[in-house]
Amino acid sequence: MSRDFFPLTVLDTKDEIGGLAKTVMFDVPEDLAEKFAWRAGQHLSLRVQLKEGEVRRSYSISSSPVSGDPLRITVKRVNDGLVSNYINDNVAKGDVIDVMPPFGGFCLDTAQNFRRTHYFFGAGSGITPLFSMLHSVMCNEPHSVAYLAYGNKNAESILFKDALSKISDDFGRRVGVKHVLSAPSMWSGFKYWRKGIVDEGAIKALIEEHPPYAQDAQYYVCGPGGMNKAVKVALMSLDVPQDRIHMENYGGADEIDDTVKGIKATAEITLNGEQQNVSIGAGQTVLEAVRLAGLRPPFSCQSGVCGACRANLTVGTVHMRARMALEDNDIKKGRVLTCQSVPTSEALSISYDG
Amino acid sequence: MNRMLHHLPVEAYTSQDWFDREQRQIFSNTWRYAGFMEDVSEPGQYISVQAGLNNIFIVMGRDRRLRAFHNICRHRGTQLIRAVGKAQKALTCPYHDWTYDLEGNLISVPEEDREFQGIDKSCLGLKPASVDIWKSMLFVHPDPNAGSIMDWFGDIDMQVGPHVPEELPEYEEAQISYEIKANWKIIVENYIDVYHLAHLHSGTLQMYDHANAEYGFVGPHYMFWEPPVAEYADNQDKKLPAPRVIPNDQDGAWVPMLFPGIGLGAAEDGWNIFIIEPIAPDLTRVTNRSRVANASAWEFSKQSMRSTGFWSNFGLSGKYEGNDAQSEDDPMASGDFTAEDIYACEQQQKSLYSPHYEVGPAAKGESPVLDHQKVVLSWLEGSK
Repeated sequence: MSRDFFPLTVLDTKDEIGGLAKTVMFDVPEDLAEKFAWRAGQHLSLRVQLKEGEVRRSYSISSSPVSGDPLRITVKRVNDGLVSNYINDNVAKGDVIDVMPPFGGFCLDTAQNFRRTHYFFGAGSGITPLFSMLHSVMCNEPHSVAYLAYGNKNAESILFKDALSKISDDFGRRVGVKHVLSAPSMWSGFKYWRKGIVDEGAIKALIEEHPPYAQDAQYYVCGPGGMNKAVKVALMSLDVPQDRIHMENYGGADEIDDTVKGIKATAEITLNGEQQNVSIGAGQTVLEAVRLAGLRPPFSCQSGVCGACRANLTVGTVHMRARMALEDNDIKKGRVLTCQSVPTSEALSISYDG
Repeated sequence: MNRMLHHLPVEAYTSQDWFDREQRQIFSNTWRYAGFMEDVSEPGQYISVQAGLNNIFIVMGRDRRLRAFHNICRHRGTQLIRAVGKAQKALTCPYHDWTYDLEGNLISVPEEDREFQGIDKSCLGLKPASVDIWKSMLFVHPDPNAGSIMDWFGDIDMQVGPHVPEELPEYEEAQISYEIKANWKIIVENYIDVYHLAHLHSGTLQMYDHANAEYGFVGPHYMFWEPPVAEYADNQDKKLPAPRVIPNDQDGAWVPMLFPGIGLGAAEDGWNIFIIEPIAPDLTRVTNRSRVANASAWEFSKQSMRSTGFWSNFGLSGKYEGNDAQSEDDPMASGDFTAEDIYACEQQQKSLYSPHYEVGPAAKGESPVLDHQKVVLSWLEGSK
């Protein structure tokens, strides 16, 4: 997988939810098609030059890799968000943006012969990877069914409202889209499923109304703030095995563990086949130190969500402040997110290769 | 010389050795029918099923997902649970009260400290099996990594009829289980013999046009469809004995036999299963269950009444009548096609033991019989 940036031309854009979000579609030229092939649930990193300097952000891909739709992201405005507002205000058809090929471990790979019941729990812009997953299941898993509980403030703030309703119409029996609204407008004629948020009550109701028919049941969660943890707790209280729950935090990290302060250390860094010793100051992250040493390691979101800066730790120990982009299994194998890692032993050996 | 029934030796239908090999290599190695989805529909509810050499139980968790485990206590092997029931949170073996949770984890061993010098309960969970639902039926597979059930049924999923059995309620009065004194393959061969339909069932299945039947094997599974005869097709909604269960523009009878011994029988007004379970070389259990239209009793009696006129003229009758009937309950005078089939199967099985038994030429309409024998052979290959 390439962790370099490539210039991509914007194929088209589309305003969503009254200009509060924007969908940006990219033209992927033939020679980059393989590099930019994506799995449902993955994200793209963008690098943009603002007057404040170069910034990088990751956004989930909202289109399905098997529906024939172009590569696209949907970016919701964040209050005072540097990049999200820049994209919403400025990006237009024909623009060229530096984009890193898709990555991320929160994925749903489909296959014609799979027969599964997929439950999706999302809220707000957390729908973007889930939409790609749901659409993929409809297109490429004819024997599978899928249910989505999707939380929003009101009918006007629902991303992909029309696209979701089209999926419901097109795939009838195989799909159930359930809108949960926290503050539905009294004047809106929009029919929603429940008032409130995607919480334990909603989860239990969804599963009770739609018990898994296909017994290979999988659960995907993507929402902001504390929603993911709450959904996971609720699912586990129903004895859903942990290995069937897949999640990604959205709208920023919600569990930063900065109780451990890193110590001063020396790290042997392997990058692009070359080795170099790098000193890491107390409290400094591995990524910060490596960049200060003049190396150009891959990185993007710098909040532990995207996984672009991951590397293998072969000697020593680190503390990760956040680790959303890694599964437990990755961590067992020694994977670390360098942007979140502070040394807890004096000698480290870390490789970005492989 | 070895006496043959086409591709199989006569012993394939009579010997314990063949029976044992089939149990091991076919019935312990494929997806087995375990019931209807309604049978396990609440958290804690369970059933057990014999699937070849394996006894497997299915239990529903609180997440309403089914789990399947081999019904063997990891201590001394006693069957953990009986046929059907409902557990709250745990399953306890009656022998020494070892207790498992609904995920199969061993959670308690009585007098653990006094009786054992350290016991790793985490290594003594129940052995998992696979479970899934297909066409409203529960299926189990003894292998926990059996893979997708669609690898087994996917190719024929669209060919067994337009029915949506999940939406049809069970007609519980039709539930019946009976033993037939014949080898399971005799019963399968009878089910898929197209040639006999116009003859043995000349008075019981003549509403369908056997001459225009379409049939053949897809992998190990046998597919069959035939249209209604013109007299039955014309204005059919007045002639169906029960309310219609498939779209108006589709008609006919779909009667596939999925491997091994999983028969479906579906037509315009119902959907039925015919599950064949070998018990001994010469004894087989058959289980029938039915689904019908989701309609009121009133609609059923209305449909029954409006179709009576057609059936009293068209007429179902026994194969033998008057003086040919042996007694009042002679299956061949019953006018019931299942009774006719059982009679034919049991008579054929008896003849297999005669030193003078010799099979005659197979008709075109019997080609599925020969094909099924080849499927059985292919599953037993390499065993001897």
